[in-house]
Amino acid sequence: MSSPAIVRFWGTRGSIPTPGHKTRRYGGNTSCVEIEVGDRSFICDGGTGLRELGLDLLQRGRSKLEAHLFFSHMHWDHIQGFPFFVPAYAPNNDLYVYETAPGEDRVQRLLHGQMRSEYFPVSFADLGARVEGRSFIDGVLDLDGVTVRCLEQNHPGRSFAYSFEIGATKIVYATDSELDFLLENPEEVERDPEVLRRLPSSVVGFVEGADLLIADGQYTDAEYPKKRGWGHARSNTVADLALQAGVKQCAVFHHDPMHSDDLVDDKIARAKERLERAGSGCLVFGAREGLALKLG
Amino acid sequence: MSNSRSEPDIDSTIAGDVSIVDSHRGARKEPLLEQLRGPGSPRKLALLPTETVIGRGTQATIQIESALLSRRHVALRRNGPDVTLVDLDSQNGVYVNGVRVHSAVLHEGDTVQVGDVVLLFREAAG
Repeated sequence: MSSPAIVRFWGTRGSIPTPGHKTRRYGGNTSCVEIEVGDRSFICDGGTGLRELGLDLLQRGRSKLEAHLFFSHMHWDHIQGFPFFVPAYAPNNDLYVYETAPGEDRVQRLLHGQMRSEYFPVSFADLGARVEGRSFIDGVLDLDGVTVRCLEQNHPGRSFAYSFEIGATKIVYATDSELDFLLENPEEVERDPEVLRRLPSSVVGFVEGADLLIADGQYTDAEYPKKRGWGHARSNTVADLALQAGVKQCAVFHHDPMHSDDLVDDKIARAKERLERAGSGCLVFGAREGLALKLG
Repeated sequence: MSNSRSEPDIDSTIAGDVSIVDSHRGARKEPLLEQLRGPGSPRKLALLPTETVIGRGTQATIQIESALLSRRHVALRRNGPDVTLVDLDSQNGVYVNGVRVHSAVLHEGDTVQVGDVVLLFREAAG
């Protein structure tokens, strides 16, 4: 029997950190989600939330950290926390960073790059932990009972979604994905935004049956036309993905830096109403810092 | 001539605007829980400086006689201004704003449900 997975949200904001009183509830740190399985941490993205995660890991009393890092892509808001990830400086720890295909070096190259002296005073070579690069093979990995898959998404400069299967539990992390570019019925949706936004089977199949989908739903329907091509989805489109894929819980993620807590509430309320109108039992909520769910 | 700068009667001058009235009344120095539903409600529950445990057992700091609660159901831990709620492996779970959680940092207005008990979290103001 596998251990339960504890999913912790350390950073849920998109694009740029947004500290301040208007963003206190959902948080201002950029993308970082931890999936803890037993004494291992599977970390999705290294935005500024990674710093807080590092500090928390130090307090958990593990003599040695085994962390597996998966980056959706290497834009600033997804890597900026790495140089501040304290466990990376401790000699005892093992960090594994994953490329999405053999022969690629994008992740390691850019993690090194952002720690060049022009950007940061401490170099990657000075990290105390053992940092090992690994690759997916044919889009899948088996990590001692945790099966991880990756799927390329639609985002400028490429991005990847990851699914984690731990026993019967499935968690999908899919941020920085312009789902609205992939719609199979864009004209119909343009005429009537209430109609189901049909997504390709490759995307629906990847998410199918997830106990938890964490997905980029940065924009409202009203905002999206001016943001087309920036690589992010409408929260209502994420709701439709959750509906089509039979997802149990959906955490709308990567909140717009211009959105106050109240605006995020409003965005989530609309997605909720949409799912209720469709008769879905999926529970949709806004991902927020400091929240942890136990699955399995 | 009367002193026009005398202290206003908040209730009569801005009656109807509950949020403004509450902001005056609610200058709380300590966070608290308002129990809205379940045995013993309505009432206000103070939090201890370090940890407050809610459950039906005698070991709980706040004991609520409900068969739907575990003996030690949920802990509320304070760290500076933050209050973090932690499910103590309860049978029926802990829900924050309708989401079953393992733990959560609470914010003003969060609704916490444990069994048939519904609580509203009010954070310390200022």
